[in-house]
Amino acid sequence: MTICTKEIFLSINGVEILKNVSLEINEGEILTILGPNGAGKSTIVNVLSGDITPQNGHTYYDERPIDSISIQERAFTRSVMSQIQPIVFDFSVKAIIQMGWLDRGYAAYSNDYEDAINKVIRECEVQDLVDRNFTHLSGGEQRRVCFARALLQLWRPSNSKEPRYLFLDEPTANLDLAHEIKILNLIKSKAEEGVGIVMVLHDLNLANRFSHRVVILKKGEVVGYGKPEVVLSEELLSSTYGLPINIDITSNIITYY
Amino acid sequence: MKSSTKLLRLWRINKAFLSRSQISILIKLATLSLFCLMVATSIGSYEIPLLQIMLGDAQLLQQIVLIEIRLPRVILSALVGAGLGVAGASLQGLFRNPLADPGLIGVSAGAALGAALFIVVGSGVTTGFIAGVFLLPIAAILGASFVIIMLYLLTQGFGHQGVTYMLLVGIAVNAIASVAIGILTFVSTDAELRGLMFWTMGSFGGVTWPVLLPAIFIILIAIFYLLPSARQLDIIQLGEPEAYRLGVNIKKLKYRIIFSSATAVGASVALSGMIGFVGLVVPHLARLIGGVNHNYLLPASALMGASLMITADLISRLVIQPAELPVGLITSAIGSPFFLWLIFRLRRP
Repeated sequence: MTICTKEIFLSINGVEILKNVSLEINEGEILTILGPNGAGKSTIVNVLSGDITPQNGHTYYDERPIDSISIQERAFTRSVMSQIQPIVFDFSVKAIIQMGWLDRGYAAYSNDYEDAINKVIRECEVQDLVDRNFTHLSGGEQRRVCFARALLQLWRPSNSKEPRYLFLDEPTANLDLAHEIKILNLIKSKAEEGVGIVMVLHDLNLANRFSHRVVILKKGEVVGYGKPEVVLSEELLSSTYGLPINIDITSNIITYY
Repeated sequence: MKSSTKLLRLWRINKAFLSRSQISILIKLATLSLFCLMVATSIGSYEIPLLQIMLGDAQLLQQIVLIEIRLPRVILSALVGAGLGVAGASLQGLFRNPLADPGLIGVSAGAALGAALFIVVGSGVTTGFIAGVFLLPIAAILGASFVIIMLYLLTQGFGHQGVTYMLLVGIAVNAIASVAIGILTFVSTDAELRGLMFWTMGSFGGVTWPVLLPAIFIILIAIFYLLPSARQLDIIQLGEPEAYRLGVNIKKLKYRIIFSSATAVGASVALSGMIGFVGLVVPHLARLIGGVNHNYLLPASALMGASLMITADLISRLVIQPAELPVGLITSAIGSPFFLWLIFRLRRP
């Protein structure tokens, strides 16, 4: 399956947020969205996941426009991790992760539930947090738990061929260095399993290192789209961010200070 | 057929997310409500020995008191308690706000106003007997729905400050309703419109089967309509956008919760007046003993609400025999310190 957007125009309260954005994401591929604040990165994630209907253009899951797909089926095909709202009641971490176990998943693989949740907890290394109160966790810990929830939503038996997509809005926000790398490696291994991934990142070096393709947005427009080694040039980055940005040719490290 | 298999599937899913200890708590709570029901039926200003009646060895008077007076009263109190408990728990879940009590936020007042208006203005319209019995609760339900929808629209606009505004709106609605009901009770010569005390403090006295039966029907439907939303109420705690992405039809869920809660509260208020704090205290106690997931919380609130209300009514009948205290006085006496405690607890970061 391929997810794509075609000629998306979107304005909110009269302000143009996205202008003529066309993207395509294949299974097993990591597409990273880069760009300054307010460029429309999170909005693209929302359009791709079907939360917002643009004024012009459509999002297609294969040939099907997203409006024609039920929200239950969308939830079964893609999971989204974005900024979380504060949770009021004292849910345990395990209960939060469980929320990714959809009714439809339950109906299809009810016997696999224990295996699935244990696998996800192991993968995200949240064993120590499982029985704690979610509201008592730090921001980074909450993020890791939400990532586990997003993964549980996409859990399938190993022989499954169903398409899966993971949309991540700043998955590494609030994470320390070690957890940042761990989560990106986990994302990479999910891509190798065949999950299509769209993520918003701020760190140019991590984007360079972990993406198959990148898209650079500036004021709602795509100014660069393709393989990172082609797109990430000193010129384009400097003009996009309004900051002199250098790329070391031998080590391929991007510096901006 | 399709809907029944769907219900069965929903029930299985809900059951899967109940822990073993929660199931045992639910069984204990069910036993407790049954026990309260038995005790409250036999004790009162007129003692009814239940055992003798079951053995068919009772006087006629005892049987009449049991069937015509005591039983409807105890059943009504149980139902109202269960309805207010579930409605409180569901509204707290939907609004993501631990202080959403039907009484505090003005929903009960809206229902009382609807009912009182109907009695004064609309009773002339009532023609058939059956229709009349249903129309009073329906008027109350409309009043309650109106307030909940207004609250929902208002708190949406205020974002995270919603908690405060919800309570402020509640104060305003309560004030408006008590003025209106006060005027209605003094202006009206209608014998049907009971005293101001009934509307503001509540009472289960004087209920009869013809009025009770439709209420049983309405409140039970509302409760059973709310129970299958449990898992969705859990998921909506992540925030509405997040719940939508997890496949929860937010609009449908809102309608379901708003109208079912309004129905439970409206029917309760129409028959027994405003009884405060039950919808606040009961879900919190249930959370304290068993957890916050709604698969457990909704049935637990129903059972606990029933036990609490039966007991409160029993106390109201016993303390100053042969007179009665308004039952709302007792629930408020328990509930208001609890409310204060909750506010202090919320103040902590």
